[in-house]
Amino acid sequence: MSSTVPHGFQYESASYQAQTAIAGMWLFLASEVMFFGPMILAWIFSRHWNPAGFDAGSREADLSIGTLNTFVIVTSSCVYALGVQFIRAGNIRWMILCCSATLLLGLVFLALKFGIEWPEDIAHNLFPTAVNFKITGSMEGGARLFFIFYFGATALHGVHMLVGIGLLLWVIRRARRGDFSSGYDTPVIVVGIYWSFVDVVWLTLYPLIYLIGRGA
Amino acid sequence: MNAGMIRVLLAWGLLIFLGGIEYFASYLPLDRSLRPLIMVPAVLMVLVVAIALMEVRKGAVIVRAFAVAAMFWLLVLLALGSADPLTRTNHYVPEAHVK
Repeated sequence: MSSTVPHGFQYESASYQAQTAIAGMWLFLASEVMFFGPMILAWIFSRHWNPAGFDAGSREADLSIGTLNTFVIVTSSCVYALGVQFIRAGNIRWMILCCSATLLLGLVFLALKFGIEWPEDIAHNLFPTAVNFKITGSMEGGARLFFIFYFGATALHGVHMLVGIGLLLWVIRRARRGDFSSGYDTPVIVVGIYWSFVDVVWLTLYPLIYLIGRGA
Repeated sequence: MNAGMIRVLLAWGLLIFLGGIEYFASYLPLDRSLRPLIMVPAVLMVLVVAIALMEVRKGAVIVRAFAVAAMFWLLVLLALGSADPLTRTNHYVPEAHVK
């Protein structure tokens, strides 16, 4: 990193400041793992006691939208990582284009999830508190538990995506202002780590929601 | 196109490949107790993202320590939390004995 890059008085160098910022994001993400961990535990616990109902719920989830969203979010993470490579090469214009494409893919994910999938699920009486819940009989309790997990987990993931979209807008704004260069790209890297973590959370939720119960 | 960009594109290809394996594996006629094995490609995908996109190996030692600690405590949480449901034995009680 260039020695001309300014840094806070408490850091001995800009490089040290960058390492601290990146380590800070990783520490935050470690706490986020502890936040999402109990959700996974809830899935294990609920499916263990209600396997048939839980799997019946999973079969009602929209696999096509879930799979398409997996493709969208994986691609968005890779496009952002390409943007990081572009700014390291000093190409700000392409870095902004990559960030904008990531933002667009994030919005596509949210539109598919909350604009199409959720309303369809609710219209099909799959909301866990629905009076005329679609799945009845001995599997109803387990299926309701599954949809509590489904709506809760996807809502929490959606909130994280909204935060990520806000961060992307901030990075694009600063990049357009000329704040970043090949010598100073720390905020771009830190936001990229966060965005990839949101991707990691979805990669965990996708099989739990859509795949494991499907063929059982 | 530099080596970093090629690495990202290779990672994207690998992620799509693993995602495809995971998707088609869900159609295998596995026993209900074995179906969580479908998570294996997902775990590999998480590793690909962490290594190729989040660049965990390039980070300072403390970055790797935070990442390993997160995985360690997650495993502790899941192991201790699921120990009870996965090991508990339910005994049948005849209805005549239920008050």
